[in-house]
Amino acid sequence: MELIRLEHKKLWCRNSTKISVLLCFIYVVLIGTVLSFQWFTYGSSNDHTSSFGNNFDGYSMIKDSQEYSRTFGGKLTDETLQQMVTDYQDMAVANLDREIQLIDRPIIDSWLEQLYPELKDTNTYNTMITYAVPDKLTGFYERRTQALEDFLEINDQTGAEREYLLQMEEKVEKPFSYEFREGWSNLLASMIAELGTVMALFLAIVLSPLFSGEWRDNTSPLLLTTRYGWDKIARAKIITGLLFTTELFLLLSTGILLSQSFYLGWSGWDMPIQMVKLIAVAPMNMLQAEIYEYAFTFLGALGYTCIILLISSAVKNNMFALIFSLMAVYLPPMIAQYLPFSLQKALDLLPLVGSPTDIFRTNTFCFFGRYIWSPYLLIAVPVLIGLLCTPFTVRRWSRKLKK
Amino acid sequence: MELSLDRLTKHYGNKIAVDHVSADLKPGVYGLLGANGAGKTTLMRMLCAILESTSGEVLLDGEEITAMGAAYRDLLGYLPQDFGYYPNYTSEEFLRYIAALKGIPRHQAGKKAKELLEMMGLAHAAKKKLKAFSGGMKQRVGIAQALLNNPKILILDEPTAGLDPKERVRFRNLISDYAENRIVILSTHIVSDIEAITDQVFLMKKGKFILQGTIPELTLHAQDKVWELVVPQNESRRWQDTATVANLRHEGPQVVLRIISDTKPSEAAVPCCATLEDLYLYYFGDKETSSAI
Repeated sequence: MELIRLEHKKLWCRNSTKISVLLCFIYVVLIGTVLSFQWFTYGSSNDHTSSFGNNFDGYSMIKDSQEYSRTFGGKLTDETLQQMVTDYQDMAVANLDREIQLIDRPIIDSWLEQLYPELKDTNTYNTMITYAVPDKLTGFYERRTQALEDFLEINDQTGAEREYLLQMEEKVEKPFSYEFREGWSNLLASMIAELGTVMALFLAIVLSPLFSGEWRDNTSPLLLTTRYGWDKIARAKIITGLLFTTELFLLLSTGILLSQSFYLGWSGWDMPIQMVKLIAVAPMNMLQAEIYEYAFTFLGALGYTCIILLISSAVKNNMFALIFSLMAVYLPPMIAQYLPFSLQKALDLLPLVGSPTDIFRTNTFCFFGRYIWSPYLLIAVPVLIGLLCTPFTVRRWSRKLKK
Repeated sequence: MELSLDRLTKHYGNKIAVDHVSADLKPGVYGLLGANGAGKTTLMRMLCAILESTSGEVLLDGEEITAMGAAYRDLLGYLPQDFGYYPNYTSEEFLRYIAALKGIPRHQAGKKAKELLEMMGLAHAAKKKLKAFSGGMKQRVGIAQALLNNPKILILDEPTAGLDPKERVRFRNLISDYAENRIVILSTHIVSDIEAITDQVFLMKKGKFILQGTIPELTLHAQDKVWELVVPQNESRRWQDTATVANLRHEGPQVVLRIISDTKPSEAAVPCCATLEDLYLYYFGDKETSSAI
């Protein structure tokens, strides 16, 4: 325990650790969350040319949007959809610039594009919400089911796989409950979803020298001649790495959660995730999705930490340790596009390589004829990979000097 | 307690760093003397079980040290050459960290760290970060960490590097006191340190022990090879270019040279008593003498 405490202290004593954590916090929480809520994403827009031209009034815009959404009675039906489109078109005619921004325009547009293609006017660049005839917007849920089945067909997801996915979909409660969904959508599809990618960079910077740094500092001969310098220290370093990852995750997720509580609150937590992506099949609500995404990021970060430490124990040079660690997480997505789809999916199982937004997708893995929805594996496999790395890390460290 | 080196050999590719070295070490202070690249550090690392030998073995009371594992490391204190440290740790934190690695309980570690810092004259700097330490202070922290677990076998690679004369005297006294019933092996380029504290000296060249014994025994090898010669100042340069000059002293218009040579360098040269430094120069002086290996 004392060794872990001192190893942990040693890690936090380093300037690179303090600077990395500070930068990570500024980027994720201050810029990516607070400023995004208050300015870039939700601030009212005057010119529509750049997010940086938005006003610094995100808080009041969100609150007003939430209030406006509640006027639709909490359920998404044909009638409420028609009412939203009517409202939008009336506001546009009345030049109510601020009020019009309170409407969930992007998602309504995407629904219209996807479910009512016959209403699309190819002679205009205007989005469908501006001209679609509200009375024609009927059969929302039937059209959604058809869109899902078409999607599975195009994706070549047939037979048992199709049945498996449609069985999941049957559990989705309809009609969907509806509140201001843009906030949840942005949170789940962007803020939390990208947390792992950003964390990976800073984890690699801070943790890659954990073992290899002992060679740069020339302390390895000293450590390896002590009683616990072969195995216990390696275990203490691994625990320290995992502790640091937990601390960084808690710091960032707490920052995001506090910002979320302040700006969005928790209303709309029970909306289905289909309000983010219409043809998602999982019977999950927003809160469950948020918990999943945090769990995905945390477990992926733990798995990735173990990979970083294995690399760090296997090389004697900090720069190589950093480069290889970054490659472990950023290279697979780069090469994925050149690989067959099955291999792309396999690469997604590497820690922090896949995306938690798979909960909105219909990806599956097939084992001996049995289908498993990809998010189940995406959350479990990275931890297993991490666990597998640890004995090799201990072995690599203690054997390094003897060659 | 007996530490035995049995035909210990280490190759790095084609290069032989340590070549069939054998010795039996009982409690006492042993000095390793040799030029850079003689194989001292490689040998010490093998004695610390952090470097595998190509052949041969190191035995402690008949048991192979690598097989002893943690039990051997429990008995060991090691100061590596170019001692590494954590710049953002204070000296006390650093010693506590090494103490934890050595398995010393927390409450004892704090006490022991304070005691050693006091002994090394670093008590005033206990809370100071190591990056602010001078070279000599860092070296003293290095010596302190080696002593944390009261090791039965203490291996010190260039322990006096960076120490000022006062610190070196303090170190020599400390080691002399400490060595009772313990095996202390130290390597240094500072011959006077070896002369002051070691019981036995190993002279190492090209990976081999070319001589070993007590200092009087060793200096016998340089007997009749040390000469004193008085020459005019204008001849001094010629002698320095052609012979191994151990010392040069100006006395008025003349220069007194201390020359290491197998044969009498000049009719005017007079023989004088050899020291360990003369022996070192005899074997490692840049002018090859006829009998030096």
